[in-house]
Amino acid sequence: MRAIRATAAALTAALLPALLSGCGLGATEKKSVADKDSLVIGVKEDQPALGVKRPDGTYEGFDVDVATYVAGKLGVPKGNLTFKTTNSSVREEALAKGTVDMIVATYSITAKRKMKVTFAGPYYVAHQDTFVRADATAVKDVRDLKGKRICEVTGSNSWRRVIEERKVDAKPVTVNTYGACMDALAAGRLDAVSTDDLILAGFATGRPGRMINAPFTDEKYGVGLKKGDLRGCEEVNRAITDMYQDGTAQRLLAKWFGKSGLKLTTSVPQFEGCT
Amino acid sequence: MTMSPAPPAAPAPPAPEPPEPADVARHRSGRLRTFVRGRWLKTIPGRIRAHVVLCLAALVALLAVLTVAIGNARDSVQTIGHDAGPQVVATGTLYFALSDMDAQVANILLIGREHDLGIGYDETLRVYEKRRAEADAAAVQAAQLAGRDPALKRTVQEVLDGLGKYERLVGQAMQLDVQSDHAPGETPTQVVDAYRQATDLMKLQLLPKAYNITLDTGSHVRQSYETKRSAVLTGRAWVALTGLVVLLLLIATQLYLVRTFRRVLNPALVLATLATIVLTAVGAGLLTAHAGHIRKAKDDGFASILQLSRARAISHSAFADESRYLLDPGRADTYEQTYLDKSLSVIYPDLGDKPVNLENYYAGLEQKVAAYKPGDKAVPFLGFFGDEARTTDKGREADALAKTLAAYRTVQRNDARMRQLASAGNRAGAVDLRMGRTSNAIRDFDAYDAALYALTTVHQDAFDKAIEDADGGLRGWNAVPATGAAVIALLILAGVRPRLAEFR
Repeated sequence: MRAIRATAAALTAALLPALLSGCGLGATEKKSVADKDSLVIGVKEDQPALGVKRPDGTYEGFDVDVATYVAGKLGVPKGNLTFKTTNSSVREEALAKGTVDMIVATYSITAKRKMKVTFAGPYYVAHQDTFVRADATAVKDVRDLKGKRICEVTGSNSWRRVIEERKVDAKPVTVNTYGACMDALAAGRLDAVSTDDLILAGFATGRPGRMINAPFTDEKYGVGLKKGDLRGCEEVNRAITDMYQDGTAQRLLAKWFGKSGLKLTTSVPQFEGCT
Repeated sequence: MTMSPAPPAAPAPPAPEPPEPADVARHRSGRLRTFVRGRWLKTIPGRIRAHVVLCLAALVALLAVLTVAIGNARDSVQTIGHDAGPQVVATGTLYFALSDMDAQVANILLIGREHDLGIGYDETLRVYEKRRAEADAAAVQAAQLAGRDPALKRTVQEVLDGLGKYERLVGQAMQLDVQSDHAPGETPTQVVDAYRQATDLMKLQLLPKAYNITLDTGSHVRQSYETKRSAVLTGRAWVALTGLVVLLLLIATQLYLVRTFRRVLNPALVLATLATIVLTAVGAGLLTAHAGHIRKAKDDGFASILQLSRARAISHSAFADESRYLLDPGRADTYEQTYLDKSLSVIYPDLGDKPVNLENYYAGLEQKVAAYKPGDKAVPFLGFFGDEARTTDKGREADALAKTLAAYRTVQRNDARMRQLASAGNRAGAVDLRMGRTSNAIRDFDAYDAALYALTTVHQDAFDKAIEDADGGLRGWNAVPATGAAVIALLILAGVRPRLAEFR
């Protein structure tokens, strides 16, 4: 009897930790956005039609709608979403620290960023394009910007893509924001604004002028997730596939960019793959 | 045998009541009453039996967890090694075949009436047809994998529908091309316009979907790998745990017998104990080794093969962008940019602060990639081959990677020369160079392709080896757990039988 009791005691002592570790072993995959009940989503606050903070503190735009749709597919209702302004310079840090769970903010997938961030998507492939005054009919592609004054926005690389990468001899004129570029273009202080077509389309809506529709780069707008969240990334990719298959993507693109004169791609983009 | 029960440990068990053989019926009802009251536990044989029952129950539990864990191990090797894994790799062919179909069309339209340029008109058409057949075969694999996943099924269907439309558009472009009877590199606008429709459909709709099919099915395999692997490891923990329980119960039984009967060793029970240790250790060891094989098959095999097959498809597509660059001067800038983007996804050398353009890319390749020796810890480039380099150790894989990188640099040097001629206005010279009349451009690309294929083979072999090891480890484990448990059970019974016999 004593032997049995002793054995039972020894067993309990041996069993408990083993049982606990057994349960722990069942969940080797790390915490994922796919498991959360509420999400903090990083967006831009100053990009018309993509991510804009309204005076009442809420956000609107294509990125906001995409994020809301994707979160819905992950099982997080609109009421449990918190949008947060996340500027370009702090995006990697915000994901690593966990101050945001997901970033949907014209966040281009690049080889360098992929070292620090796991990207789902892209949910849209934007292209660098050029916006000119309506009467500038001679500008048909990026080479026609030779000798023209183009906008150099502080902190943006778009002007480099024209002058340094395409080697087009245009003259950069420094302006603070793309909104100010548009004003300068209308006032004749500039000849062209060249950057991602979706960003241009957002600023162009309601302004006179012409999109030249001569795209020359691919900007893959991805959904930024914490590095290593492969399961979350795969779930987000499925959500994006659904978004294109059920017509939501087409509807959202038309809603935000339909009036800009931009040629929109309404077929699902080629995903980057979760790494 | 002398009956010599040990002096009872407190509380003293009452001596066994002598049975009354005269009245069998009363005897039976008495037994039942004894059992229900739990008085049988107060007898020595009752306690021995209780020990035996506990030991056997724990043994059955050990057998059960071992069987479940080995079942999970079998499932995992089946999924990754035999069913979904190879099928996912096969769907990768879809992207490659589609992309290469469009490349062949670009070449045909570029060479025009000069049917001997490049690999020749007839051979180009033959390759086109071959890729068409490969695309169909890969689509069948994808449709099978899609199973009950409606979104995936729909994607596969959309690719097949789109392929029909693509072929119609290509047919129109080819017809216009034949009618125009043009010189190489002087494709008329209406042919280029017709081709643009076809290639846009391919680039914007078919290829992304084909790529996503492999990614999505691959992610299912990855998830099932994670689940199965953690099930195998959890199973291992349970095997160790239940093995320990059996062990402790066997020891307890022996201690009880030692105290009760003053016998130091019970050979059968000692054997049973040793057998339990062996069965548990070998079972847990098998599961550990299995998890290792599966990890190797997935990381070093499956994942690498998929990555390299993407690198191959994208390289072919970039090579075709050279033809498109020459074919469609109106979009030359775009095709140059997509060529650069694709090249960057294959190898992205560290360019520092220099602008990311082709000129700096070529220079970066010569500086960073040429200086790199596979096996070095610091890898000065990103992209598919960067990922590959970071997991490469010295040996056969490193040699294959070194050859691939060298061949890739040669391909890029040809590209630089071709673009130099084109941007200097010598289109005919650029076409001749690209089509291999004045260079080894096509042969160099084929050499690169062969080197990349050899590198993929290294991973395929690693995959096959790991799966073979996993299969080999599990072979025979249908019978081992049950036989082992039966032997242990028999040894336990053999060990206590003489002790029980003393009470008859």
